[in-house]
Amino acid sequence: MTESKRVIVSPKSAPVENNWWVHMILVTVFMIAVIPVLWVVMTAFMTKTQTQVMPPEIFFKPSFNAFGVIVRQFGMLTFMAHSIIIAVASTFFSVTIGTFCAYALARFSFPGKEDVSFWILTNRMMPAVAVILPIFMIFQTFGLLDTFVGIIFLYTAMQLPFVVWMLKGYFEDIPREFEEVALVDGDTWLGAFRKVVLPLMRPSITAASIFVLILSWNEYAFALFLTGTNTRTLPPSVVTFTVSTEVSFDLLGAAAVIIAGPILLFVVFVQKQFVRGLSMGMVR
Amino acid sequence: MARLEVDAVTKIFGASVRAVDGLSFAVADREFVFLLGPSGAGKTTTLRMIAGLEQPSDGRVLIDGRDMTWAAPRDRNVAMVYDRNSLYPHLSAYENMAYPLRLRRTPGAELDARVKRVAEILRIGELLDRAPRQLSGGQQQRVAIGRMLVRDAGLYLMDEPISHLDAKLRSHMRLEFKKLQSEFAATILYVSHDQLEAMTMADRIIVVDHGAIQQIGAPREIFQRPANRFVAGFVGEPAMNFLACEVRADGGKIAAAGDGFSLPLCAEHAAALSAVARTPKAFEIGLRPQHLAIAGNGAEDGDERESGIGGTIYAVETLGSATVFDVSVGQTVIRVQANQDALPNRAFRINDPVRIRVDTRRLHLFDRESGRAAIHPSLSRESGRLAVLGA
Repeated sequence: MTESKRVIVSPKSAPVENNWWVHMILVTVFMIAVIPVLWVVMTAFMTKTQTQVMPPEIFFKPSFNAFGVIVRQFGMLTFMAHSIIIAVASTFFSVTIGTFCAYALARFSFPGKEDVSFWILTNRMMPAVAVILPIFMIFQTFGLLDTFVGIIFLYTAMQLPFVVWMLKGYFEDIPREFEEVALVDGDTWLGAFRKVVLPLMRPSITAASIFVLILSWNEYAFALFLTGTNTRTLPPSVVTFTVSTEVSFDLLGAAAVIIAGPILLFVVFVQKQFVRGLSMGMVR
Repeated sequence: MARLEVDAVTKIFGASVRAVDGLSFAVADREFVFLLGPSGAGKTTTLRMIAGLEQPSDGRVLIDGRDMTWAAPRDRNVAMVYDRNSLYPHLSAYENMAYPLRLRRTPGAELDARVKRVAEILRIGELLDRAPRQLSGGQQQRVAIGRMLVRDAGLYLMDEPISHLDAKLRSHMRLEFKKLQSEFAATILYVSHDQLEAMTMADRIIVVDHGAIQQIGAPREIFQRPANRFVAGFVGEPAMNFLACEVRADGGKIAAAGDGFSLPLCAEHAAALSAVARTPKAFEIGLRPQHLAIAGNGAEDGDERESGIGGTIYAVETLGSATVFDVSVGQTVIRVQANQDALPNRAFRINDPVRIRVDTRRLHLFDRESGRAAIHPSLSRESGRLAVLGA
């Protein structure tokens, strides 16, 4: 038994370092990053008076009052439903369309291919506020303001460049021979794509979907201007009922928990998939 | 099984890169034909056009007499294996092999039987459950070949299927291919840059360079009667030696003379070249290292058909069964391969002066301008069949 436990160390290997100070730095950074988040979560369980106490109380009796108020009085669950519909639909469309776009850009050569690739990227270059006014007017003209079709359409267009550029690289990593062998074996082009390329791309497509879903879920600027009572998503809705003459920090905290909670759980749940997809092709 | 005809096929990439330039050849039913040439010769492009993965700029591809130039790959009933990346990484070896059969909706029992039978022949039966990445390079290629063989393709196309394997496995696979071909009665077109593969396996070899055919012939013919300087230099190991020379009438005798040597031609060659020799013309002598010998201690022996070239030892390579002497003659280095038992009984040091014995009946002569063969070795005892091509 002792035989198997002996570790063979190469004389040329670097000595194992005991980096206690690295851990100190990591803990410090972690504290700085996590305390504000923790504070928001704590506020969510305070009453309004507790949030205004000076100095702030670290130990208090938690109450679910704020959650009750935003859910019952302000209909937070309706906004959440809107958010889910819009995020899921725009993710579905942008990833589906983006996959085909990326495949075409990765596989086929046609005149102006590089220009198309770059043009797609430029769509992502302008900040939202720069285009919000023209888009608002276009939406007004076409009657798309405060409609699911409008905002899903916009998010799809917004996320498309991201999906295309991310997946294009992964498609290029898949040897063309795979499809060619399938074609010679007697498959159609679409069959080869479906049976050979897509299974190989699944981790990357999943990773892109997760990314896009999170971006859509958190989007604020467009949602604030282009959605109304029928389609309002979570991020802009918070402002309307927490900020009036004064900021209701208890409600704000509860809303933040409701917005961030699901996506946080989701990411924890799919983390493995996500990392696998992103690192695909890197480890060979 | 099927016949293949390639008729004046040309492929132009971009504006002016002629990868394949008017290639025409035919592969008979059950024939094992090699496309042999250096990288960039257009071999793979030709293969891809036959498979339908690439469209020719001009010319036709006929399979079993039917024009398939523009047909989709799946309508041609061809099977293909690449040098690598032929297996789908997400499927097991079994599923990889079953893929072409599943596409054809082969019933389960038959599919299973076929895959198992081919796996048995290729000796990969116990590997079928593994994923491609769990297989060694040789095993992967065997599975890829298996996938090609499970279906009854008319024509099997192979693009250097074993060139990435190690030397030992390669020589084993060469044998396997030869056996497989007769077992499956397959028509095979095999692309390779390895002349050894071509020489050992092919029924016929098509030597290509710069997108054009240099010579078509049986391995022996390619080796013994290369049509031009390129083929002569490409086929054979060690490669043929070339020496610039002129053919001159020297007194009554016709001789090939160059930098520091003069080789009187044998009677047959002399007769063939007598017309040429009146005006000196630039040639290149081609000498196979196997057909040369190092003369013993400078002592000439009396055989009148043999003649010598003087030089100094440049290097000596010991191959085990044979020894290769690199002898510098003038500006060039001539390689002489001597079998172990035919070695002169002395030690050689670098810069030792030596004489190379040349059997003048076995020399090749190439037109220096066109590169075409002017004379081939006279096939001894068949003195009437003398080749005169370029003169």
